[in-house]
Amino acid sequence: MDLDIIIQKIDSLSPVSATGSRVMEIISSPNSSLEEIVDVIKYDQGLTANLLRLCNSAYFGLRTKVESIRQAVAYLGLNKVAGVVMMATLSKNLTAAQKGYDLNEGELWKYSVSSALIVQSLAEKRQLGNIPCLFTSALLKDIGKVILGTHIQDAFQKIILSVEKERLTFLEAERKILGIDHAELGAMVAEKWRFSPEMVFIIRNHHDPMKILIGDDLSIPIIYLADTICMMVGIGGGADGLAYRYYQEVMDRLSFTEIDLQNTIADFWEKNKAVEEMIKMSGGN
Amino acid sequence: MDLVVGVGDMKVSNNPEAVIVTYALGSCIGVAVYDPFVKVGGVLHYMLPESSLDPGKAGKNPFMFGDTGIPLLFKETYRYGATKNHLKVMVLGGAQILDQGGLFNIGNRNHTILRKMFWKNNVTTNFEDVGGVVNRTLKLEVKTGEALLKISGNESRKIPWI
Repeated sequence: MDLDIIIQKIDSLSPVSATGSRVMEIISSPNSSLEEIVDVIKYDQGLTANLLRLCNSAYFGLRTKVESIRQAVAYLGLNKVAGVVMMATLSKNLTAAQKGYDLNEGELWKYSVSSALIVQSLAEKRQLGNIPCLFTSALLKDIGKVILGTHIQDAFQKIILSVEKERLTFLEAERKILGIDHAELGAMVAEKWRFSPEMVFIIRNHHDPMKILIGDDLSIPIIYLADTICMMVGIGGGADGLAYRYYQEVMDRLSFTEIDLQNTIADFWEKNKAVEEMIKMSGGN
Repeated sequence: MDLVVGVGDMKVSNNPEAVIVTYALGSCIGVAVYDPFVKVGGVLHYMLPESSLDPGKAGKNPFMFGDTGIPLLFKETYRYGATKNHLKVMVLGGAQILDQGGLFNIGNRNHTILRKMFWKNNVTTNFEDVGGVVNRTLKLEVKTGEALLKISGNESRKIPWI
């Protein structure tokens, strides 16, 4: 398999709009204030319309209909508004069917949005400081699958054999058979789109949380946990299934008990209808 | 006509046109029952083992939990004239992430609660495909009881359970 051919496909993704990349810059930069987002998006009518639609969706449960970006920020806070902007910006690359992973149209988007929303709620509970950055990383972490999809299809039998016989994870099998995995490709996309080094690092290592357990940073553990929950519940579940490694150390680091795990699953599912509505509203724009 | 059973959901039908479908069972369990005499079928898709976790949520949606959902699945088919002795029973799902052991292994715990309840109530299963690291999708044709299992990445196959 020619690795160059796979990597070249990064160029075939729809480029992020000028407004979208400016917002990403603001989210990524520690020196920017999230307030700047408002000034950037107010000139983009399409994005503003999408943003207001999503902010008014049942998921956020606002009692008053918001009609301006300022109002959206006042009612939802900048973190959530930034997340919604990223949803409106990134959906077009993540909604198509991915045959290699056996994902129908919209299923990868469903997976991405669900894990980003779980990340947001876990990060808010712990009052982490970089929530839009975590939200965006969770949303984009599997974009490598969009590039790798057709190649997975051709090599599927070999990959699945490695998973079954050698107990490799699906990611390790991708690397073994195709020379690269979807996390690495996702990190390359994030680099090309000039995401912050922190976000590139998160995307590259989202299946390998042991890399950062030495430090205090909870970013990857939180993203890993949300990913684990989505896999277990089967949200947008594809051919890679649950063939990833489980690390109890991550749960311990987060002081996350199995009751916490079950409660998080139950809480998320209570909002299922509102989440589904938002996934539909945000996809394909 | 597809009757889709979502996560934490149940559908029972005797409409010969209906196909009951449930998608992407990961660690969740799908229980399907079918009475070939009265031609009624049902599918439950529960995500967590025990309602004691949160009785309030179980009250609002008993299909989220195995211990509250399973009895309702059987009772609902009885309402349509099914009898326990005639019911065919199938169990799918309960997958787990690699190396996921102990209490965090919800797939395994979901299956354990079902086995306990079936043992206590003398229910035997006609087909089980449980565990592993795969996603499973089930389609059940109400008219015939014919059931198709699709493991993501593979073609559908007919389940020998009737």
